[in-house]
Amino acid sequence: MTFKKIMGAIGPPLIFGAIFLGIWELIVVVFDIKPFLLPAPTAIWSEFLERSDDIIEATLVTGTNALIGLIFGVVFGVAMSFVLMRFQVANELVTPLAVALNAIPIIVLVPVFNNMFSSTTEVPRQLMVTLIVFFIVMVNVAKGLRQVSPVHMELLRSYAASPREVLVKARIPNAVPYLFTALTIAAPAAVITAFVAEYFGGRQNGLGYSITSNAAASRNAASWAYVIGACTLGLIFYLVAVGLEKVLSPSQHSTKQQSGGLAPGGASA
Amino acid sequence: MTTRGVSHPVASDAVVVDRVSMTFNEGKSNEVRALCDLELVIRPADFVSLIGPSGCGKSTLLRLIASLISPTSGSLLVNGKSASQARVEQDYGMAFQQSGLFEWRTVQKNIELPLELKGWGKSKRHQRSTEMLELVQLSDFASNMPWELSGGMQQRVAIARSLAAHPPLLLMDEPFGALDEMTREHMQAELLRICAASETTVVFVTHSIPEAVYLSNRVVVMSPRPGRITEIIDVNLGSDRDEDTREEATFYGKITEVREALRGAEAADGPRGIEDR
Ligand SMILES: Nc1ncnc2c1ncn2[C@@H]1O[C@H](COP(=O)(O)OP(=O)(O)OP(=O)(O)O)[C@@H](O)[C@H]1O
Ligand SMILES: [Mg+2]
Repeated sequence: MTFKKIMGAIGPPLIFGAIFLGIWELIVVVFDIKPFLLPAPTAIWSEFLERSDDIIEATLVTGTNALIGLIFGVVFGVAMSFVLMRFQVANELVTPLAVALNAIPIIVLVPVFNNMFSSTTEVPRQLMVTLIVFFIVMVNVAKGLRQVSPVHMELLRSYAASPREVLVKARIPNAVPYLFTALTIAAPAAVITAFVAEYFGGRQNGLGYSITSNAAASRNAASWAYVIGACTLGLIFYLVAVGLEKVLSPSQHSTKQQSGGLAPGGASA
Repeated sequence: MTTRGVSHPVASDAVVVDRVSMTFNEGKSNEVRALCDLELVIRPADFVSLIGPSGCGKSTLLRLIASLISPTSGSLLVNGKSASQARVEQDYGMAFQQSGLFEWRTVQKNIELPLELKGWGKSKRHQRSTEMLELVQLSDFASNMPWELSGGMQQRVAIARSLAAHPPLLLMDEPFGALDEMTREHMQAELLRICAASETTVVFVTHSIPEAVYLSNRVVVMSPRPGRITEIIDVNLGSDRDEDTREEATFYGKITEVREALRGAEAADGPRGIEDR
């Protein structure tokens, strides 16, 4: 039953992926496409196996940056959302702020951060991830703290609940599903940011650096092999976030209540 | 027999509504005169129903008594105190049109919420909420989440929550609207039993004439634009009401009386509505 369910969920994409790779391989072979244009999946795979130690190492570097940035971003984002809730003016700034951040690719700040810190540290990259995650979490959690249903507010008013009791009994529990929605957006965004940040220089160790340097040296298959590492890392972060949501916030209501969180911040740069 | 809102309020009265008017968005283009010069006195242990066409201000009156909103003019006393003081001291329980359950709390924890806010201890809360669950026949669902219940069951949980602290005054806004006929009659009988046993005063909003007649000592008939009390009908079917009461001639007689009062209220509204335009 559950196995069937799991297969029902992941079966179709797996089959689709297999067909896609098959056609890719076929096209490369049939049309005799040169490896510097597009390497065949089998070539990428053998490259992946050959370099697996290096790829794992690079994945760990990028993954650590993403994780550290994610943790700090969540902590600061949650803290800031509480501060925003206290001030009505700040509250009204959240939505325009989110829109503005959506339009500005803040990832371009990486070179600025690189200049601020020595080139042997990972701090600029972690800082960039923190910043992206911070905004995603802050905007969503602030929304959850604020958008308590009017019936609940009226009920608590009829109980003469103090502002602190309203916070504990209604605002915080109401914001929990919003936090988890934010996490499922922020976790993959953290990986993408950590990895794109490496494109802008700094230490020469992570996935992003390896992809660009191999591509620059026309080692296309190697470059693609590192892309496999990047995909795996992003997937792991996303699945862990979704798993946490399923286990810690299993409210059916919450999934109906919000249609996707707000995701500011040029993470898609 | 009909009486105008009693004119000699006493300190011991459960609710005193003294020349209360309520205008929403006063002075703006979307101004609504919801209630106009209302007078009503409710004695302790009285069961009063508010009935009238949609938009005549029944919910507004209930929210004024609950001190969730403040009147534009006039004053309200609840249990001899100002309405807001009564709210602070949690002298009433309230059930709304929507159940308003907290979706992150189990059914039992929802019922315990008002008790938590009153500072009751854990075991006392648990004991009372278990009693309340039995009362609304939902003991089997104590640890379920609200979304796992049907709409009618959710409404029963909300009623249990409003009764949990045994407040001296109950304010109910169409609480049985979502229930099926059988459950509805059961809940009506239970409500009467609880209120008689605990001498609870009830202000009950409903759209159903039979429900108002069956439950109430007095039925307050209201008319809209602006909301006014047009008639107060004494019912008093006696304290030994049971299922047979619903088939008696006096029951039907009262239903007819309320229906005619409602028609009168609407007729009075007719020309007035035209005048306003
Ligand atoms: N918060 C508010 N702001 C503006 N107008 C309001 C507000 N609440 C109620 N009103 C208006 O006051 C009038 C009375 O509303 P109320 O909800 O008390 O009616 P009701 O008798 O309870 O109706 P129903 O039987 O449909 O529940 C309506 O015209 C409504 O539009
Ligand atoms: Mg109403």
